[in-house]
Amino acid sequence: MSDSGELLIEARDVHRWYGEGEARVEVLRGVDLLVQRGEYVAIVGASGSGKSTLLSILGCLDRPGQGTYRLGGRDVLSLRDDHISEVRLREIGFVFQSFQLIPQLSTLENVEVPLFYAGVPRRERHARAKAALERVGLGHRLSHRPTQLSGGEQQRSAIARALVHDPPLLLADEPTGNLDSETGKAILALIDEIHAEGRTILLITHDLAVAKHAPRLVTIKDGEIVLDQSTRGI
Amino acid sequence: MVVHFLELAGLALRNLRGYLLRSLLTTLGVVFGIASVVTMMALGRGAEDEILREIDKLGITNVILNSVKPPASKSANETRNWVSSYGLTFNDQIQIEETVPGILHALPVHSYTERAWEGSRKEDVLVKGVTPDYFVATKTGIARGRGISADDERERRPVAVVHQQLVRSLGHYGDPLGFTLRVGDQLYEVVGVLEDEEFRGLMRKALSAPARAENEVLVPYSTVLTRIGTRSYTRASGSFQATDIELNQIIVEVEQQGHVVPVAHMLRTLLEKLHEERDYELIVPIELLEQRRRYAAVFNVVLLLIAGISLLVGGIGIANIMLATVTERTREIGIRRAIGAKRHHVMIQFLLETVILSLAGGVLGVALGQAGVAAMEWWTGWEAKFTLDVALWALLVSCGVGILSGLFPAWRASHLDPIQALRYE
Ligand SMILES: Nc1ncnc2c1ncn2[C@@H]1O[C@H](COP(=O)(O)OP(=O)(O)OP(=O)(O)O)[C@@H](O)[C@H]1O
Ligand SMILES: [Mg+2]
Repeated sequence: MSDSGELLIEARDVHRWYGEGEARVEVLRGVDLLVQRGEYVAIVGASGSGKSTLLSILGCLDRPGQGTYRLGGRDVLSLRDDHISEVRLREIGFVFQSFQLIPQLSTLENVEVPLFYAGVPRRERHARAKAALERVGLGHRLSHRPTQLSGGEQQRSAIARALVHDPPLLLADEPTGNLDSETGKAILALIDEIHAEGRTILLITHDLAVAKHAPRLVTIKDGEIVLDQSTRGI
Repeated sequence: MVVHFLELAGLALRNLRGYLLRSLLTTLGVVFGIASVVTMMALGRGAEDEILREIDKLGITNVILNSVKPPASKSANETRNWVSSYGLTFNDQIQIEETVPGILHALPVHSYTERAWEGSRKEDVLVKGVTPDYFVATKTGIARGRGISADDERERRPVAVVHQQLVRSLGHYGDPLGFTLRVGDQLYEVVGVLEDEEFRGLMRKALSAPARAENEVLVPYSTVLTRIGTRSYTRASGSFQATDIELNQIIVEVEQQGHVVPVAHMLRTLLEKLHEERDYELIVPIELLEQRRRYAAVFNVVLLLIAGISLLVGGIGIANIMLATVTERTREIGIRRAIGAKRHHVMIQFLLETVILSLAGGVLGVALGQAGVAAMEWWTGWEAKFTLDVALWALLVSCGVGILSGLFPAWRASHLDPIQALRYE
């Protein structure tokens, strides 16, 4: 944990629950998380502990039922919907746990989507999407549909899409979950590379080897952060 | 950097292409709606044009009086008297010219049917005795030669102006000018050839022309009266019948268009006084025109109603399918929104889909309508007029239908909660 530098993520007392009254299920119960710009954080925890829920809130996709969340100093919860879209588009790359590729589009087109909404001209879009796919080792699968890809290939497409528009913050929900150890290592190396470029990275994982890769490890249990430690020196 | 509109249109187009058959079926309502309206419009305008032309041909400043056989009861008596005598009289014409103000002249026309022949060839013709002014008043065009001149009229010359077709059907294929036409026991020299034109419904009726207008023989009025007289004989059920009609027609030409209606009114009053029975009819082209315009207005309202209903149905069809599509593509919408698409991007994308769908329906509809028009013309012989502005209106309207039918589905799509949409199976 570096003490110097600018605060990028500032989530305080974040609560999230589903349902009301009797059926109310508490998923996050007062999470506090501060992340400096340029940090690399791994989040671990049991299945159902609320990791994905937390990442959705940090990625401006979901809203906490209670608590505050500031991203880069801005109170994103008070922003207009269009403005939040803009934040998602410009500042966040999100790798979903279930990939979330559009089945009607080819791999290349899927990766182009963020650039499309950023208004990048067609030709540049193609070039950048192609480069991103090559970076994850999928340069040979450009015209395949998601359904024609293996699970690992879909996962790498999703990573390419999260990186294609060079977002300063990368949020990845189990980016190596479907990869064999070799490919997983390659992806981790890629994430290291991106981290080295100065980007902030939060990734969720079950794999302790992957978790140890990150300088900071956050452990969630039953919707609360139970451990927040620097792994440097372990 | 802004998302280019055309890029979104491309996206919409792509999606539609992905479901080509469904898209085609969806737009069918609009296709048929537009097609039927385009067809009806074309037919309506065609009919309108035709009638306007006919009315114009009758002469917008004319009032036309025709002799007609009076109701049966009285004429039955007269038939027993061997000669039935009815219709417009010389006196009518003189009275009109002398007492009705604001008219240029009242042109007398006396006509009779007869058989023209040449060798063994025969043609039934309508011989019309007309004055020189007839040609101007009825806009009867001369293709070659000349019309009836004042000299012809004064000297009662045996000259005739005919359609070339008549001379041809009598077996003469050379120059019709100078041809000697035999009509019954009369000989006429052809001095003029009439312009060919299409005589149709109203025109034919108003001018009491025979079914085939080519068989008109125009001769000097004075020639007919002195040579033939006013009495004509027809053989009916074994016995001869004689009919005595002094004038078959009087064409009253009014000085100013604005005076046509009052003149027509005066003529009605005058003729009511002069005639005991309705053995004449009065045709006022300008009144026909106004009546016609009223019909057209009603027709247009009905048309608009049909168009509105069919397009409403078509639009609802599109909206319905689009709602289903939005549900089906919830996840895609969620992904796009999660990645950074704004609400209006999603909104425009879906709106464009319905607009493109509906516009395509409009284009197909216009094409189908045009085919329908062609088919109708071919089957019925009606005249139709397909104009560009109808096509443009059709496209504009289908564009509007697209927007309206897309509004709700697009709004729905753009207001999906991204995180829930992502979880949608
Ligand atoms: N839309 C929802 N409605 C009701 N409960 C939900 C909803 N989404 C998530 N939950 C619940 O919230 C809890 C946390 O879910 P979350 O996806 O954050 O878990 P996770 O830590 O990511 O688990 P995993 O490691 O299996 O991905 C789960 O128990 C889940 O049942
Ligand atoms: Mg999860």
